[in-house]
Amino acid sequence: MKAIIYIIERDFKRFFRYRWWLVGLISMNLADLFIMALVYTKMVRSEILASYFRFFSPGITITALFAAAFMIGREVNWEVRRDYASYLLSLPIKRWELAFGRVLSGGLRGMVYMAPLLLTTFVFLGSPTIFQLFIILSALFLIAIGTSSLSISIAASITSFEKFVTARGVVYYLLFFCSTVFYPINLMEQLKEQGVLPPFMVDLARNNPLSCGADLIRSFLLNSPEFTPYLIINLVAYAFIFVVLGALTYVKMLQRTR
Amino acid sequence: MKKVLLVVERDVKRFLRYRFLLIMRALWFIVQIALFGLIASRMVVIENYFQYYAAGVSIIILYSTAMFVSYDIYEEAEHGVIDYLLSLPLSRRELVLGRSIASGIRSFMYVGPLMAIVLFLIGVTNPLNLAIALFSLFIFSFGVSGFAITLAVAIKSEDRFDILMGVLDALIVRISTTLYPRTFIQQANTFYGLISNFNPLTFAADLFRWGAGIEKYLTFSNPLIPIMAIIIFSSFFALIGIVVYEKRLEGGGWQ
Repeated sequence: MKAIIYIIERDFKRFFRYRWWLVGLISMNLADLFIMALVYTKMVRSEILASYFRFFSPGITITALFAAAFMIGREVNWEVRRDYASYLLSLPIKRWELAFGRVLSGGLRGMVYMAPLLLTTFVFLGSPTIFQLFIILSALFLIAIGTSSLSISIAASITSFEKFVTARGVVYYLLFFCSTVFYPINLMEQLKEQGVLPPFMVDLARNNPLSCGADLIRSFLLNSPEFTPYLIINLVAYAFIFVVLGALTYVKMLQRTR
Repeated sequence: MKKVLLVVERDVKRFLRYRFLLIMRALWFIVQIALFGLIASRMVVIENYFQYYAAGVSIIILYSTAMFVSYDIYEEAEHGVIDYLLSLPLSRRELVLGRSIASGIRSFMYVGPLMAIVLFLIGVTNPLNLAIALFSLFIFSFGVSGFAITLAVAIKSEDRFDILMGVLDALIVRISTTLYPRTFIQQANTFYGLISNFNPLTFAADLFRWGAGIEKYLTFSNPLIPIMAIIIFSSFFALIGIVVYEKRLEGGGWQ
């Protein structure tokens, strides 16, 4: 356990080395919220959404969490390319501790980065109850560790940085745009019925962990959509599957014959 | 002139090396239009928003591709290629002029097919207007390259430049009419509305829409205004780019 804490501490120190880069990233998220969402609020039909700003605020929190938790993959991929594993293997730390340490640190870094945006959401949408706050933070933590594991599993299996960037882009676009982060699911379902959107895309949006995270916050703060246990089950499944996959891929990468 | 052309040729060839990044940007473009544009068009009160949005995204990608030259400059600084370039028998002025022209050309080479898709979706009504608009956009991309070169050599630190780019991107793109008409920006916040009036991306997006025949939500009723604004913007930054590049290039200090 102590070794895992060391790994988390190390990864946090590395994370804050990019503090100015993080400032740039946060300013982009805030610009999305305080410029783009504000303008869309004036443009979106009131029968579809009463306030786009209020709808989008939980969405941007989730995308920020996702992007920050995914950053660990960049470091792991760098380590793969530089054969850093030899050094890691020489440390008096078990392989599974290394793997879970990286997964946890990636997730926790995402949580820290996302915190100001979550607070902004609470300021504008209202505060949840203590119980709701607990559920929200737990759900966000599940998304964070699921995402850092997803990122690690991709990064550890790819030896080229360009291919990693491409894979990351595909995952980002697929999960961001096929989700309820930017638009409500009922609108996507209408478009499916009209034959504009293919059914698999709407199914993906409904089951996307980013949708579940954003909808969970909305269900508590906006009372729409309605809270269902499925939102939690989905996130538990996402975190479980990818933590196992991420940890296994990472250990396999460490043991790869060189 | 021959030396400038050699710089242009070199930079255009280099651009094709970034194939993965180019693929990613094309993918971003397609997803933005085919998913966000399509769904958002059913969500907003603006008539034919899909066409409006697709035209705006083309300008965003033109802008970001023209900015790409700055990353070339940093890569060359990191690998010591700048010292090699300085040792070549060409003046600093020829070097920066060639780089700006090359950046404009390669932006257009890349964005051209994407714009063609958008124009196919929109349908061209007035080819002469379109030709004027595209020519102005070429000048615009030339100006953006000058802007990128100015910033890159003035800052000389890739980290700081990256941050500045992030912040600038966030503000320049969002406070412009690339994504939404000025009326709504003004309604959301009068200050944003005011800034969007002077944003080069607003001029470029307006011109492209004017050329493509999407005239309902144009910021300026007279297309001469954005054309003149783009000429002033591009001349200013091309000139500043040359001056700053010449002055700051030597002496090291790259971080």
